[in-house]
Amino acid sequence: MLTDAQNQINYYGGEPGAQVASREGKRQPTPRANSARELYFETKSSVSMEFPYWYTRRWEEMEGEIPIIRRAEALKAGFQHLTPVIYPGELLCMGKSSYLRGSFPMPWLSEAFFMAAENKLYQEAQESGKLTADTFTTMGKGGGNVTKSVGKVLSIAGKFGLRVEEMPAMLEVAKKWKDKSVDDVGHKYEQLVPGYKEKEALMRSVICMFDSGYTLPQGREVMNYYYPLQFGIDGIIQNCEDGIADVAGYPDMDRLYFYKAVILMLEGIKAWIINYADEALLLASIEKEPQQKTEYLEMAERLHWISSKPPRSFHDALQMLWLFHVAVLNEDAISGLSPGRVGQVLYPFWQRDMKNGVIDREKSLELLECMRIKFTEIDCFASMGVVGGVLSGNTFNNLCLGGLLKDGTSAANELEMLILEAGITCDTPQPTLSLLYDEKLPEEFLLKGVECTKIGTGYPAWVNNQVAMEFLLGNYAHEGMNLEEARAWAIGGCLETSPGSWMPLELDNEIHWIPGGSAPATSVGVHFLNLPKLLEVVLFDGMDMRTGQRIFPSHGFKLETYDELWQGFKDYFSRACHVLTLTNNIQHDAWRKISPSLINSMLKPDCLAKGKDIGQMGCRYNTTFNIESCGTTNLVNSLGSLKKNVFTDNNYTLHEYRSAILANFGYKTAQETGSYSLIDQVPTDDYPNWKKIHRQSLDAPKFGNDNPFVDNILKEWEDWFCDMAHNYRSLYDQPMYACQISVSTHGPMGAVTLASPDGRLSGTTFSDGSVSAYPGTDKNGPYALFNSATCWNHAQSQNSQLNMKIHPSVVKGREGSRKFLELIRAYLRKGGFHVQFNIVDSRMLKQAQAEPDKFRSLLVRVAGFTQYWVELGKQIQDEVISRTEYEEV
Amino acid sequence: MSIMDGLSCKDCKYYLPVDVFSGMCKLSKERIGPDDPLCAKVEKIAKCKFCSNYTPEKDFLGKCMGNTLAYPDLIAAKCADFQWYNQK
Repeated sequence: MLTDAQNQINYYGGEPGAQVASREGKRQPTPRANSARELYFETKSSVSMEFPYWYTRRWEEMEGEIPIIRRAEALKAGFQHLTPVIYPGELLCMGKSSYLRGSFPMPWLSEAFFMAAENKLYQEAQESGKLTADTFTTMGKGGGNVTKSVGKVLSIAGKFGLRVEEMPAMLEVAKKWKDKSVDDVGHKYEQLVPGYKEKEALMRSVICMFDSGYTLPQGREVMNYYYPLQFGIDGIIQNCEDGIADVAGYPDMDRLYFYKAVILMLEGIKAWIINYADEALLLASIEKEPQQKTEYLEMAERLHWISSKPPRSFHDALQMLWLFHVAVLNEDAISGLSPGRVGQVLYPFWQRDMKNGVIDREKSLELLECMRIKFTEIDCFASMGVVGGVLSGNTFNNLCLGGLLKDGTSAANELEMLILEAGITCDTPQPTLSLLYDEKLPEEFLLKGVECTKIGTGYPAWVNNQVAMEFLLGNYAHEGMNLEEARAWAIGGCLETSPGSWMPLELDNEIHWIPGGSAPATSVGVHFLNLPKLLEVVLFDGMDMRTGQRIFPSHGFKLETYDELWQGFKDYFSRACHVLTLTNNIQHDAWRKISPSLINSMLKPDCLAKGKDIGQMGCRYNTTFNIESCGTTNLVNSLGSLKKNVFTDNNYTLHEYRSAILANFGYKTAQETGSYSLIDQVPTDDYPNWKKIHRQSLDAPKFGNDNPFVDNILKEWEDWFCDMAHNYRSLYDQPMYACQISVSTHGPMGAVTLASPDGRLSGTTFSDGSVSAYPGTDKNGPYALFNSATCWNHAQSQNSQLNMKIHPSVVKGREGSRKFLELIRAYLRKGGFHVQFNIVDSRMLKQAQAEPDKFRSLLVRVAGFTQYWVELGKQIQDEVISRTEYEEV
Repeated sequence: MSIMDGLSCKDCKYYLPVDVFSGMCKLSKERIGPDDPLCAKVEKIAKCKFCSNYTPEKDFLGKCMGNTLAYPDLIAAKCADFQWYNQK
């Protein structure tokens, strides 16, 4: 029997059916991929000191050198000393470190967060607000996370394991970077920004989640593999030598150092590849099983070949693509390094091999499954607030399918069909898939995409090709982008629209125009802004009532009208953007001076042609800084509630609302209950005093029901936000833009936010994405939700994000597939930018929460990425469970 | 006292690390742990602690060639200055 208070909370819910429905039948991977995945399931995230030791050692030896040369020498030393590890059965090899799921600290970026809590460096970082988000992040307790220290293994950031024998070296190496790391140098100079103390207050209150300049300075972008695929490593080195001959002694000498630095870095990468080739030979020499021996010998030969020359086959090309992907990941702490439109990049190689009988579909599928395993192994070593609070342990390597070719025709091809098939047979979190939906894509291809989404992997996400192109043309036309070039785009990271270029791959005297990324990180800058918390601070005239600290000076409004409230919000939001833009620009300037990108720069057009790295605007497109928001739907619902209950119906005064918020509407906080969804909250004895105001807050119009009262608030916010973002200038003196994805930040950001006027309770997780309904509040069906979500033009923003949960029974069978495709089409035709799905019965998720060991392989979609359920923190698990579950479409 | 005293599988060139808790033997392909005892087929892998240029200082730390930070379990197979301290 539900209590009165529970009924209040379950107000939005419905009665589930009798049986827990399973997802539609899954297919199995090839035995090779299955073995690799089983090994992955048994593997813990592990860090080693090998790369940072050699990097730091060489860095010190090169003191006094020109900075970019010093950086190149350090990278070279890191790569050439990495111990090669090849696992039995691998067709693709090489990884970030000498562990299967390995990563390593990069103290040249930041050295404080992995220190012990009592360490002075750690305490300084804590005081400046850099680590506050860590405190409010819950890490996943299962899967590959090393959540506590055991025996000779130490746990770092609740996720990574480090052998005790490497800990003293880690601390000693970290200390060498004190006052020299990007973090420390950036911090030294960001304090010169007028109003800097406000920035610290924003970080401590978790109105802003993290600094991008030293945490994840690269990523959220699309790789470009063209140069190694076309010219091979020796060809690139020759290109740089020619460049040196052209520029040595002439003005703009930075070009000379850039070319020299690229050569040095490539020497390190060549050594790294050859070390792997030698390891393959060693393994072949001790191998007794004939097929495995042959495979090791073939691997050694392949690696030797591509250590200098361009690939000869699809297999060569895939190995080349993978090794450069890893190489970039090793030059910086990176999330969201998307491989891009791999099926189109590699299609010429695959098509030729198929024609010549070098490969067949079966072997292709096996290779693509092996690729999925390798991408899934990628870890990123970062603080708990970043790796848990933002990434949920994922690293967002997004592979895109579909879209258009250079000439405007459908880009879907047979290899992409196989990539989708591999995503079905070998369901793993990475690479996640995004389908660039365009009306020109063939039905068969779209239905294959639906087949994949239906099995419950959460991928492919469905993304609107035309909306993205409109955004790109608006944002990059001043840098020369035209319609043809706009077609080369792809998603960088989980959902960041990123510009691309068409590159002329010549194979057998024929030119194939392949797409690849041509911009640096498209999501750095102001990351993320907690919108409901900002509204809370407006209501309390600049105070964070959770901590009792003042964030902003008084806004000066009596808040007697809705317009005053809205103006107060805009003023504080703008104020936050101002100081955070300036401080982040300084951090990124420190990054480009201390730790410039070399590998990624070499790959991205037009850095090699210009002789400039990414930090010197060597890329073709450089308008890439943004302002990211979190909690849009809770903000809009809260404004709607206040507009109705305070300013229209006069049910309550604003003072009464403030009291209700401080009293958490008579409930315990999420931190007290240990649950982060609205449904599971527990009332206090004081609850009857707040019941009425809470009910009326819940009853106020909610986004997602095709109700203009609240949808107009969303539209007003979006039109203002997407426009005002252009007022801020990036480090590269380019206008910034709006970015609207929550990733996992809606967990920790909800955790620091008191109850909100929409009836959400203190500490509970926000609605995910930017146009997802708050769980249970979209009561008029999916088409009403689509109308609400598309009440504004999504091409104004880098993205929008809609997550939906659909009961498996709804999309079952072939008829279900067609219905599902029509649903997706309906949203995208209305101008929605993105929609993604969890096809799951919520009760299965509850079972998995209770018995995680029985659900090691269960995948769910969060906000732009797919992750193993057991590796998600409880904040996000609770939110995914509570999402509205559609039982008919 | 044997030179192999105190050593374990993680000191062998046939040890393939999977994670910080476990690995495989490249010869037998069996799952083993980094701290498991050595078998008869052991061949030491080049590590700082086996190098004549390495001087131990305190727990898990030392110096390379007298002046550069190093640590005993660092694999030095690709280090140009590595010299076996003693007989393999």
